[in-house]
Amino acid sequence: MSVAAYGRLRSKKRRDFTTNLITFAVVVLLAALVLFPIWWIFRTSLMTNAEIYKYPPSLLPQNWLFSNYEKTLEVFKFWKYLWNTMIIIVPSCLAGTFTATLCGYAFARLRFRGKSLIWVLCIGSMLLPTMVTLIPLYIGWTRGLGLQDSYLPLILPYFCGGGAFNIFLIRQFILSIPRELDQAATIDGAGYFRILFGIIIPAIKSAMIVVALFIFIGLWNDLLQQMIYINSSDKYTIALGLTNFRGQLKSDWSLTMAATCLSFAPGVIFYLIGQRYFVEGITLTGLKN
Amino acid sequence: MESVNKPPGRRSRFYSSEARVAYICLIPAFLGLIFLTYLPLVGVLGISLTNWTGLKSPEFVGFDNYVQLFTADPYLMDSILATIYFAVLSVVGSMIYSLFIAMLLNRKIPARGFFRAVFYVPYVLPAVAIYVGWSWLYEANFGFFNFLLSEAGLRKVLFIADSSYVVPSLSLISVWLAGNLIVIFLAGLQNVPSVYHEAAEMDGANGWNRFRHITVPCMTPIIFYNLLMSLIANLQVVTPALSLTNGGPGNSSRFMTYLMYDQAFVNYKLGYASATTFIIFAILAVFTAVLFKTSHRWIFNEGGDDK
Repeated sequence: MSVAAYGRLRSKKRRDFTTNLITFAVVVLLAALVLFPIWWIFRTSLMTNAEIYKYPPSLLPQNWLFSNYEKTLEVFKFWKYLWNTMIIIVPSCLAGTFTATLCGYAFARLRFRGKSLIWVLCIGSMLLPTMVTLIPLYIGWTRGLGLQDSYLPLILPYFCGGGAFNIFLIRQFILSIPRELDQAATIDGAGYFRILFGIIIPAIKSAMIVVALFIFIGLWNDLLQQMIYINSSDKYTIALGLTNFRGQLKSDWSLTMAATCLSFAPGVIFYLIGQRYFVEGITLTGLKN
Repeated sequence: MESVNKPPGRRSRFYSSEARVAYICLIPAFLGLIFLTYLPLVGVLGISLTNWTGLKSPEFVGFDNYVQLFTADPYLMDSILATIYFAVLSVVGSMIYSLFIAMLLNRKIPARGFFRAVFYVPYVLPAVAIYVGWSWLYEANFGFFNFLLSEAGLRKVLFIADSSYVVPSLSLISVWLAGNLIVIFLAGLQNVPSVYHEAAEMDGANGWNRFRHITVPCMTPIIFYNLLMSLIANLQVVTPALSLTNGGPGNSSRFMTYLMYDQAFVNYKLGYASATTFIIFAILAVFTAVLFKTSHRWIFNEGGDDK
């Protein structure tokens, strides 16, 4: 290598090092900015109201008043709301993941008449905004089936394939598994369901966890449908309870923020458990589109 | 694509058992597509032609609801404009933000996984809690943003209580929530062949040129996907209005879905609200169609087999 070329390479290396250093600094700064609102909410939840209104506000609470949480729990029935939310989420996640897997398997591996048509209808429903079907579904559930003030209208839709997007995601995952595996099993005499349960499902576990997490987040955030279908306050979910709580305690910010932080917790815990799969799963959806 | 049907041919008995398994697997999806998707879609059109209020039985009124919506409704126009304003700000903001962050995270920096998790975290928090939490940052007297403004010597702003600031304020939150877009962009960036960059660098292309002529073209399919998904999601925005603003102040955050909610579930005008729903559906369809129609002009297909 000539001296000039060597010099160029070295200067490129040095330049790369500097840009990476600057990049790192920018990332740290932006990450701090993104986390800042969460920190601000959290530190407020540990302060007295007098401290909140102090000028200039401080970044850290003077004494960490975890007793705010005790006070909050007296009025904000967090455990009750969490339990109610889980009554909706757990069956929905299980059923949604399972039925999405069945459908994804059929679309990825099996041949049958009308496949393209059903696939198009399925993918088409991904583009259909969910709010469009809200009123007819409301009438159907409450008038048609008499399910007033019930969790069933929120849960049962997940027994029907768990949403087109999730079916799509599972199908993409199954397509990425080599077909030779199921062909070998077929030669060994395994049926289609044996292949599904013995080969496919173990191989796409991470995708199924992603689907479960997507359903979790979807239900978690769906304030609109919870408002429509749930009336009595002892059936409130976290989303409904928090909305209502904020209305009651308009100015008691430290308690409101404590309730907010409590509501953050389950999502964060779920995410930390499934994080690895999560990134993997979303990555695949983005790539295969 | 493998979804193409093959004729049964000689293996017809084998095929039929395969098909039977497939139909069994698809029963849930069949039920869902029929009863939860396409039938309700027809239903909403049907109901929109009646004066159903939920109390008395519906009567057919033709296009009266639509006529009334376009000529006499005090909210519809404001609502459409507010929604489009919100969606455009949020989509543009979150696309730029997430692509920028993804490009930073695509470089070889320490603790990349940790930072990716950090930028993703807002997305997994429950939406209501996020809006309630941010309402404290936006608070009129003691909120954090007003502290910044007064430190900078500026006048205090009411943010979500001010009709001209409420939509940008809510959009900022939805940009903050764009963690899932970052992860998808990042995956796409990792698929841009590094030989392109190396070759361009040899030829002396600077960073901006490489971004403009290599990264962006290679990323167009993913940009399209993110654009489509975030547009559909943001045009349906409703949670901030439900949990925080109740459509106010004035009508400034009376987003279309909130308008429909208000008509149908607060005032029980089911027929009228269905007409609103159909209008919203039409608007969303127009946006989606425009995006699809223009996509072939700017989406770059490597090898041209992307279908």
